[in-house]
Amino acid sequence: MRAVECQRGKMAAFRAGLLTRALTKGKTPGISNIILGTRAASGPSKDTLPGPYPTTPEEMAAAAKKYNMTPEDYRPHPDDGMGYGDYPMLPERSQQDRDPWYQWDHPDLRRNWGEPMHWDFDMYIRNRVDTSPSPVDWRTMRNQLLGFMGFMLLMFGLGEMFPCYQPVAPKQYPYGNLYLERGGDPEKEPEAVKHYEI
Amino acid sequence: MADYKAASLATRPKTLDPAEYFNLSPEYRRAEEKRAALRAQLKRQYLQQLNNPHRKELIEDPALTRWTYARTNNNYFRPTAKTSLIGGLFGVLPLFVLYVVFKSDRDKRDAKIKAGTYERPYKLST
Repeated sequence: MRAVECQRGKMAAFRAGLLTRALTKGKTPGISNIILGTRAASGPSKDTLPGPYPTTPEEMAAAAKKYNMTPEDYRPHPDDGMGYGDYPMLPERSQQDRDPWYQWDHPDLRRNWGEPMHWDFDMYIRNRVDTSPSPVDWRTMRNQLLGFMGFMLLMFGLGEMFPCYQPVAPKQYPYGNLYLERGGDPEKEPEAVKHYEI
Repeated sequence: MADYKAASLATRPKTLDPAEYFNLSPEYRRAEEKRAALRAQLKRQYLQQLNNPHRKELIEDPALTRWTYARTNNNYFRPTAKTSLIGGLFGVLPLFVLYVVFKSDRDKRDAKIKAGTYERPYKLST
């Protein structure tokens, strides 16, 4: 139902936009401008959505208020063109790391309503990446893993290069190397086959 | 708090951290109170909507809308040195590198087959 209403609202806005542009005496914009410029009024307004990187202190304060953060806590991502805009940079902690006993609004996500979401929120959910403390620190874990994998690879590689097994010989068949079974003439005498020498 | 034993695989909750309770500077206390006030306001808004008996629709979360908008609409992407380098390294270079690798490997194998020296690794028939 809501999707249908949304569509109808969008179509009405589109038609209204076309009409106003046709009636006003300004320069008529191209069709792409008309299509992109009209937006339904049912969604969020532009000032509640993320905006460009804030430069002045007033913009910083407004952005902090928009994201429900205190101005001291609000820090935007550095402006190096990666596309963050004014989205805040939150500490890199996973949701599993949060207090399990607090009454969150959304207990499975361990998040309250209206709380600013981390940019990588979908990575930090409890099914995925976890930043909780580990039994040993990461460096030790990495060294142990790499050491073990490296050692096993080395040993298997050496084993391929220098194979080492019990002595083997070609398979020896009886009855003169299976002379009759291989279709040899029964009248003729087969040559004697010698497999070993004592 | 005296009988709380820290768990080795969990971070200590903020409410059980003694640094939260002793030797607090007034600025820290003011900042914490501001944060608590914001949290309480958000909680109040949410609970009012949640417990409203006449509510029929989903409670819309503007923080979620903002996050979705920020992640899907990359309006503020700018081609700079860093982004161009990353784009070239991960988007353009693999095309050429993989082409060279696959082509050379395939050419070597074709030459071997033509010369008749190629031994098939997983041949099942004799």
